[in-house]
Amino acid sequence: MVDPVNTPLGRMLLDEITPVVMVLRTNLVEETCQKNGLSLIQMLSPFCAFDNIDVPVRTASDQPYRLQKFKLRLFYASDIRQPDVEVAKERVKEVITHAGEENFSNLCSDPPQIETVLTTSQSELIPSWFPFFNKELVRTVSFSDHEAFDHPVACLLVVSSKDEEPINRFVDLFNSDQLPSLLSDGAMDPKILKYYLLLHDNQDGTSEKTTKFLTEMRSTFGSNDCGLLCVNSSQDGLVEHQENPWALYRTESSPNHRLGCFLNIDDMDELQNVMQDLSSKHIIPHMEQKIRVLNQQVSATRRGFRNQIKNLWWRKGKEDTPDTQNGPMYTFSSIESQIRVLGDYAFMLRDYELALSNYRLLSTDYKIDKVWKRYAGVQEMMGLTYFMLDQSSKDAEYCMENAFNTYLAQKANILSVMNGLDEQEVEGGLCEEDVKLGSSGQRIATRCGLWWVEMLKTRDQFKEAATVYFRISGEEPLHSAVMLEQASYCYLFAKPPMLRKYGFHLVLSGDLYKKCDQMKHAIRTYRGALTVFKGTKWSHIRDHVHFHIGKWYAFLGMFDVAINHILEVLACGHQSKTTQELFLRDFFQIVQKTGKTFEVSMLQLPVIDIPSLKVVFEDHRTYASSEAVGVKESLWRSLEEDIMPSLPTIRSNWLEPRAKLLSKKLKESNVCVAGEAIKVEIGFKNPLQIPISISSVSLICEHSARSDEIEVDPNSTTTENQNDDQFRKLATSGECSSEMSSFTVSEVDISLGGGETLLAQLTVTPRLEGTLKIVGVRWKLSGSVAGFFDFNSDLVKKKVAKKRRKTTQPTTDNLEFLVIKTLPKLEGCIRHLPKTVYAGDLRHLDLVLRNPFETSVKSIKMKINHPRFLSIGNQEVMDMEFPACLEKMNSAESDARVKTNSTSDTVFLFPEDALIHGETPFVWPLWLRAATHGNISLYITIYYEMGDTSTVMRYRVLRMHYNLEVLPSLDLSFQISHCPSRLQEFLVRMDVVNRTSSKSFQVHQLSSVGNKWEISLLQPIDSIFPSELLLAGQALSCFFKLKNGRNSVIDKDEDSSISTLEGSDIRLSCSSNEPLFDIYRSPLVDFHHYERVHQGTAQVDYFLAISFENPNTVDFILISRPQRSEGDSEQPNNLFSHHALLRIQAQYGG
Amino acid sequence: MASTACFMIVSRNDIPIYEAEVGAAVKEEAAHQHQFILHAALDIVQDLAWTTSAMFLKAVDRFNDLVVSVYVTAGHTRLMLLHDSRNDDGIKSFFQEVHELYIKILLNPLYIPGSRITSSCFDTKVRALARKYL
Repeated sequence: MVDPVNTPLGRMLLDEITPVVMVLRTNLVEETCQKNGLSLIQMLSPFCAFDNIDVPVRTASDQPYRLQKFKLRLFYASDIRQPDVEVAKERVKEVITHAGEENFSNLCSDPPQIETVLTTSQSELIPSWFPFFNKELVRTVSFSDHEAFDHPVACLLVVSSKDEEPINRFVDLFNSDQLPSLLSDGAMDPKILKYYLLLHDNQDGTSEKTTKFLTEMRSTFGSNDCGLLCVNSSQDGLVEHQENPWALYRTESSPNHRLGCFLNIDDMDELQNVMQDLSSKHIIPHMEQKIRVLNQQVSATRRGFRNQIKNLWWRKGKEDTPDTQNGPMYTFSSIESQIRVLGDYAFMLRDYELALSNYRLLSTDYKIDKVWKRYAGVQEMMGLTYFMLDQSSKDAEYCMENAFNTYLAQKANILSVMNGLDEQEVEGGLCEEDVKLGSSGQRIATRCGLWWVEMLKTRDQFKEAATVYFRISGEEPLHSAVMLEQASYCYLFAKPPMLRKYGFHLVLSGDLYKKCDQMKHAIRTYRGALTVFKGTKWSHIRDHVHFHIGKWYAFLGMFDVAINHILEVLACGHQSKTTQELFLRDFFQIVQKTGKTFEVSMLQLPVIDIPSLKVVFEDHRTYASSEAVGVKESLWRSLEEDIMPSLPTIRSNWLEPRAKLLSKKLKESNVCVAGEAIKVEIGFKNPLQIPISISSVSLICEHSARSDEIEVDPNSTTTENQNDDQFRKLATSGECSSEMSSFTVSEVDISLGGGETLLAQLTVTPRLEGTLKIVGVRWKLSGSVAGFFDFNSDLVKKKVAKKRRKTTQPTTDNLEFLVIKTLPKLEGCIRHLPKTVYAGDLRHLDLVLRNPFETSVKSIKMKINHPRFLSIGNQEVMDMEFPACLEKMNSAESDARVKTNSTSDTVFLFPEDALIHGETPFVWPLWLRAATHGNISLYITIYYEMGDTSTVMRYRVLRMHYNLEVLPSLDLSFQISHCPSRLQEFLVRMDVVNRTSSKSFQVHQLSSVGNKWEISLLQPIDSIFPSELLLAGQALSCFFKLKNGRNSVIDKDEDSSISTLEGSDIRLSCSSNEPLFDIYRSPLVDFHHYERVHQGTAQVDYFLAISFENPNTVDFILISRPQRSEGDSEQPNNLFSHHALLRIQAQYGG
Repeated sequence: MASTACFMIVSRNDIPIYEAEVGAAVKEEAAHQHQFILHAALDIVQDLAWTTSAMFLKAVDRFNDLVVSVYVTAGHTRLMLLHDSRNDDGIKSFFQEVHELYIKILLNPLYIPGSRITSSCFDTKVRALARKYL
């Protein structure tokens, strides 16, 4: 370990615990000194510290040693008293405020990294004003009466040579009432060493008179105790000091004033000599002498076995005497005071062994007397002495802790006594006195603690030192703040560094600074804490630090930094609602104060839900509705297999000379057409419990005119910073880009409730050919803060995180589009398509196609996934009324029904001449028949080719998707049994149940398909079913006779149509005037065909092979109509057809 | 039951994976203070954990009248309790039972060690234990 004298504490003690010299002077003396801009003490002080005084001293036991370092402290008599607490407080506060202003300039930058903090040396990191502050704090408790080292050792009386009758002045000075209370109230010996100094101003002419005065003084006060000091030898006052010894006293108000300007080199020598003379020839010998005398006294009365016994007995007897508030009063003549003086003098002359033995002796006495303040004071000195002796560190620490605790306990005692008094009768004066004592206890404890801390620091016990600092921090918030800050640095310097404690104590200290309105200090500490807490997962900590430092920055008007910090806490879903409101409100207040819309590249509110990002664009695939977009691509693919040109053909079609270059690009990137919107769906999530409103949500896009220019590899070596800058530029230039009109973006306003997630639909419509890249999204929070989100950066980050995934396609490609020339695009819809129908419902619908462009499209093909439900009609149906068009005509038209549906079952080719362009819509009839109940998805895809063959894209596809809910209606079942009597006849029982809940049906007709069966009623319909209406839930059974009419058909071959007509249809309604429907007409026959196909696939395999004319099957079609209620005029004219395919059990081997 | 008690599980990477205010008086504004104290106590735990083979480290740190008790599992996950009552036995039992619950959470194949514990069942059980022991 290093020599204790050279440690910070050692130096501090040699500085602070030194003999005090009381200075008395006349006004003229002061005047003389003021010529130099200095007071007397200021002028003398630089010459009171001696590094090499080299005075021989002998200890009490006559051991000689030499004193090298020595220092005197000079005080005016008026200052030798306990300093005013309030004044001291003000001064300390000033120091702190000043330091805050000075250090503030570099606080706007980002906090340093923790690694750099750890490698920074102590002296750089710790603010330089700490030692100064500590010293000020220690000084607030000087001149206490419970310790002797602040008691003046000597008195320096200074009289100017200009004074009248200097001898009398000298006498007057000491006899005046201005002497400190220490002397007057008997706490110290009034017989003090005096030294008489005559000050002569050389500017006042010759020193003859002065010499005369000096001889007079010498004869009066004794020749040894008098001295002459001549100053101001320089006449012009232009002396420049190379190293101005008074630089310390330079004040803020007059920095240009040259201190000591009249003092030339001779004067300085003289000052030095006078002070050295005073120290070495007077003060030190005097102290040595006094030590000797006191030591003898103490030895005589207290040392030795006899004295100890006597002391014990005597002490016990003393307990009976009533104690005053402060314990027994010890005057200077009491043996306790003398021991204390002896100890302190020995300490000051560095005879630590002697000091220690006396302190020990005294501490037991005080303990027995229960005078805790004095006891603590002695313990404190014991601790320091142990330290200076460099002996057991344990003892030193024990003593310091003991002293510290005793001081604090004493304060607590007084407080408790006071509280007790409060309840009883209170004497104002007494109480005030007590408060003073209490707080002085705290302050002395602070001093003791500071020394203790230094002791621990010297021994590298930083952790313990930090604890002591923490204990020092008391009620005074400003002092506590500084102490806590010092504690935090101790944690930082501990080995290993305790960073979390460091951060925590900085925050505690910052809070206290804030309490005292030391905003700049508060920011400084929090900024330090940020190095620890940056990016922490401890959410409350992060929020607290960022929010407060942000608020304080805003308070100082540094809004940019403030907002950066508050932004960190915006997405605080874990906080309570009130806290969230507070954060948000303060944030907006700050933003408002800046007076501009703020732009933030990573605004956390709302949270962008990246996985929900969905881009919908139309290349050759176009969609009629958003539902169609949601359908799986594979489903469309399988549907479109037949109508699309196969893949190699696409290529050969596209690969025209110009397109060759593009082909590769086309394959790789997404293609979209100028003028057609790209839809982007992205989720916005509000993490808070309070609603937020977001406006002007739009996409940020980047458009470059020609594709060749962007041949640059997207993964080229652009650093991230550049990317960021680019993005920022793009984002901010977003507003004007629409004017450039290379693309237009849509703007959406949304408001999110607490915890809500909304999908925002955004679109961008490219206007020109080239490449369009969707870069990010931009929005405005509450109309004042603009946020940007870069899709790219986030996606890239995610990719890095998931390294295991092999690089398939760069994710960025999803958002890059090749814009090609405007192409015609069909828009289509199905008119009158209901959402809900009853099973069996047969309706007429219109398919409407529209091409808003002038260029026509051609070779239109269409495919439907469920031909059983939806079939394509003939154009002539358009003009006819439904269901009248299905009614049975005369045989003249019968060839119409013969029209085969020989076109491919699945693909429907529109007539070659169907060219769609301009505003005129193209309408084509469709038939809907709800074959079975359930939820049906209808997919329709329409293929068309461009009329203009020069385009890059030759064909496009329109995809339509509808959902249909089919409710059950009539349940039809048949039972066929052989007629017992006739071979060719069967009995048919038909059961019809109305399964609907409210609808009534009118059964119209039953037809058997094919011309080999004849069907007839067994009973007239009136008798079995008079009401005609089949109400909801009602069932109907009726019997028919079925006759195999094959023979008769052959017989009447020539007019077969008529006979079959009559034989195969039965009217089931009573009113005979309504016409029957022709089941051989489209669409009934078509739907029947699909029904057969469907049933065939569903049933046994060989049914497939069964032709229409299979003798063992019979197909019935029941046609009914819904009851038309009066008010329900909107009800379309629709029919219900129910198809039943039956197989007759061939009982007779048929 | 203690008036103030804040329970927290801190993963080996010093990230809080579970936190609960289990005191009788839940004060919202104290939440950050509790986090600060517990966070700072990690400094003490990191030294202390290697000096003993016991998992329950008793009271390792204090701040004014609040005490931090810590239980370190074998995987160096720290169960930390900030409390103002002196009930060492109760706290020990509390820690042991929560440790068992935590192990059950770890056995869940869908739980990634070191990630946040979101199980509401765990939360309910921990609070029940707190009522029982603290």
